[in-house]
Amino acid sequence: MGRVEQAVILAAGEGQRLRPFTVSKPKVMIPIANKPIMQYVIDAVALDGIRNIVVVVGYRKDQVVDYFGSGEKFGVEIDYVEQTQQLGTAHALKQVKKKVHGRFLTLSGDNVIEPGTISTLIDVEQDTILVNEQENISKYGVIEAQDGIVTSIVEKPKEAISHLVNTGIYSFGSEIFDGIEQETDLTSVIRNMIALGREVRICEATGAWLDVVYPWDMLKLNDLALAKTSPVTGGTIESGVTMKGLVSVGKGTIIRSNSYIVGPAIIGENCEIGPSVCILPSTTIGNNVCIAPFTMITNSMIADGVEIGPNSTIQDSIMDKGSLLKGHFVTQSGETDIRIDDEYHRVRIGAILGERCSIGDSVVTCPGVIVGNRSQIRALKVLDGSVPDESLVM
Amino acid sequence: MCGIVGYIGEREAQPILVNCLKRLEYRGYDSCGIALPGNTVETHKDAIRVEALERVLGPSSLPLGIGHTRWATHGKPSQENAHPHEDCGRNIAVVHNGVIDNFLQLREQLSQEGHTFLSETDSEVIPHLIEKYYQGNLEEAVARSLKDIVGSYAFICFHVDHEELVMARNQSPLIVGIGDRENYVASDVPAVLDYTDRVIYVEDGEIGVATKEGIRFSRNGQQVEKTEHQIPWTIEEAQKAGYDHFMIKEIHEQPKVIRNTFKGYISALEPIVTLGVTREIDFNVLILACGTSYHAALIGKHLFQQLAKISVQVELASEFNYSDIVLSKTWVIIITQSGETADSMKALRKAKASGCRTLVITNVVGSSATRLADEVLYITAGPEISVAATKSFVAQLIMLYLLALGWASADTRSLGNMIAELRQLPNRVHEILDREEAIAERAKYLAKYDNIFLVARGVNFPVALEGALKIKEIAYIHAEGFAAGELKHGPFALLTPDTPVIAIVSKDSTYETLLANIREIKARESPVVAIAEDGDVEIDKYVDFVIRVPAVDPLFSPVVNSIALQLLAYYMAKARNCPIDMPRNLAKSVTVE
Repeated sequence: MGRVEQAVILAAGEGQRLRPFTVSKPKVMIPIANKPIMQYVIDAVALDGIRNIVVVVGYRKDQVVDYFGSGEKFGVEIDYVEQTQQLGTAHALKQVKKKVHGRFLTLSGDNVIEPGTISTLIDVEQDTILVNEQENISKYGVIEAQDGIVTSIVEKPKEAISHLVNTGIYSFGSEIFDGIEQETDLTSVIRNMIALGREVRICEATGAWLDVVYPWDMLKLNDLALAKTSPVTGGTIESGVTMKGLVSVGKGTIIRSNSYIVGPAIIGENCEIGPSVCILPSTTIGNNVCIAPFTMITNSMIADGVEIGPNSTIQDSIMDKGSLLKGHFVTQSGETDIRIDDEYHRVRIGAILGERCSIGDSVVTCPGVIVGNRSQIRALKVLDGSVPDESLVM
Repeated sequence: MCGIVGYIGEREAQPILVNCLKRLEYRGYDSCGIALPGNTVETHKDAIRVEALERVLGPSSLPLGIGHTRWATHGKPSQENAHPHEDCGRNIAVVHNGVIDNFLQLREQLSQEGHTFLSETDSEVIPHLIEKYYQGNLEEAVARSLKDIVGSYAFICFHVDHEELVMARNQSPLIVGIGDRENYVASDVPAVLDYTDRVIYVEDGEIGVATKEGIRFSRNGQQVEKTEHQIPWTIEEAQKAGYDHFMIKEIHEQPKVIRNTFKGYISALEPIVTLGVTREIDFNVLILACGTSYHAALIGKHLFQQLAKISVQVELASEFNYSDIVLSKTWVIIITQSGETADSMKALRKAKASGCRTLVITNVVGSSATRLADEVLYITAGPEISVAATKSFVAQLIMLYLLALGWASADTRSLGNMIAELRQLPNRVHEILDREEAIAERAKYLAKYDNIFLVARGVNFPVALEGALKIKEIAYIHAEGFAAGELKHGPFALLTPDTPVIAIVSKDSTYETLLANIREIKARESPVVAIAEDGDVEIDKYVDFVIRVPAVDPLFSPVVNSIALQLLAYYMAKARNCPIDMPRNLAKSVTVE
């Protein structure tokens, strides 16, 4: 049995629980440490010597195709197949039937994996599921196995029947397509296979596998990803700037006098930081971002093109691209209950801000505030709860 | 415009030539062909698309050849007129881009000497001239032939007895792509990007000889040392990335293009523009351009006048070439996307000759114009494939804003405000792109008509001209742009219920007068579609439909309005099933006058 040479990446889904960030882009394009999630997947696949990749696109496909193109920049060859309706993972996989031959890997484009995570799956037989041990299993498909053979898969079990979580990464052969009939998701297809007496194996992941379900997961992943990036310094650093720890500065960026930056932190290209700005761990700043004097940012993600006015405090917050914030913007951080899909989640977080918002002077947000895309907030407001897309708060 | 390619190396030349020709298709063409050196010259050519040519080609293992895409200038598109052209003995083949001014005279002379011509083209004199002077050395024969030729040219030729490509250039673009034991010759860099990113630019008056081992150049018989350039573009950038057409892809790239163009020149902190092009106080400013770039120049005129209080003249480069005025103490600004436009190049040479300071605003690094001008400002729009210019136009505008702001006499505070507005423009453009669907709806409605008028006043008048040009060139609808005040001096006679009018309404000093004009148009029962900013509720009372654009400072309104018109033209063309990226009879960079 030779090495597997082809991989299918499922990248058609929207990721509704990550709104407002997924209104204008698919989940796979959400940046973590200035890299779209799917790029982590492609990098890992390429590292294990797989060059031939088929990507199933759907929701906002232009953004995926635009970014990854022919794959040349990432050292792989990418072929795209469109899933016009997002009817689940099995339906998505069915779209590539004519494009794959023999044994191939199937991965989800919206989980962050490390280089090496899938290495063990390269040389195993087909019909194998990559599993990962997780402490809290309540939101995953959990696998029970005996001697490496799967006995059952239970979705979101109430009790911890096992700590082995289905990563959604599989090794299949082309026979898998015979098993997909009316089933929409791959878990049901695999259950059917087991019921018909086929052996489905497990194989343990050899590196991190991280899932992004809710916006606050992005901050956690950002922290982990930042710790592993190697610092690069481009741009101009004026005299009197202090930089400690792993700090990356993109080309064309200027960091002005008296700024104080503690890594891990990434600052993208063509940014203007300072003078006298304080950036603390674990912060990612995109390209073309502008941060005015006397602003402090800690443990936050600021996307491309955001402008932050003077004397602002931003902590444990995520801002999507292109927002314009006037001065004295303060995000309060703390433990709070956030409701998403009728479920309450207790998390420690600052503000979540959609793209291209406009925020007036001296606005304060309470912990867990979600501001929808393209909203306008007038000066001197205190925001709490969530503000829908394109709102005007006067 | 015509495109030429050549290959010499160790691989089969035929598929490489075909691929290079495909990469040149964006220049627009009506015929194509290739020639390879067999026992005699083996030529395949016709008035067909490159794909059709590819289907009729048989197998060939020859590792040398030349190819051509023709955009008819002398003689109709036909098999005879397509290149490559051969000599009488069928030993020499030539592909040519340019115009031989004295070809009638040369042709008559060669005919008297016994040469037989098969086509109506000017280009065919070249192989016959080379044949006349050939005495066993192709390079020498070419050099001797050039002494007889008057006109513009970039050509590549081979002789079946020699493993070499000989090329020459005068006023038409020509580049060489350097490979590993192989070399490429082409009109334009994208043709060879699949194979190499190492490029040499051939200059006017140079003759080059390429073999598979290397390439050498000479000028007047003297060896010339050339520098190699690394091309930063990738072929991937020159592809569609999931969009239906290059045009719509390029429209969507505009927020990024705007940002890339002003990047490094302005900052959030300090209200200054650092372009490095200083204005001499007592100098006049003359802007020369053609086509879409001319419309950018007209908007530039308003910007210089309003921001820098400089009096500016704008002329079509093609017309300027006929004026006898001797310029002095003038900044001549030439705007050309490709840096190769023949009329603009001629105007540039004329301006240089009369001792003017020259500044070129272009998109193409290393293009002919950049090598001639005193100063160059690059718009960083990336390769523009669609024949209809969109992002390069907007990038040219941004460069003109920067230049006008850089030369502005405005006080620091208002300069700071303008720079802040400019920095926010990419976001405003995003907002227009978000309204694509609404604009597409209006386009479906307008696409039903055969005549459309566009009216505006002030800084938006050139936007009306540019919008009309876009509608004409890609949607094939007769469209005319007018200064709103000029309607009553004639065009009014054409207004009927079947001639919709697009009014570009800006909330500046022209607003009230333009509303009055719209009332006059409505009185003739013509449907009126307004392009107006968010928050302008007054306009609803006057017109049938409103296309909304985000509110910006009136001086920046040409950017948002022209992007709304680009989308409108694109969806009108789509509704009419037009070949959007390659409209009939048009070429991307016009390298003939």
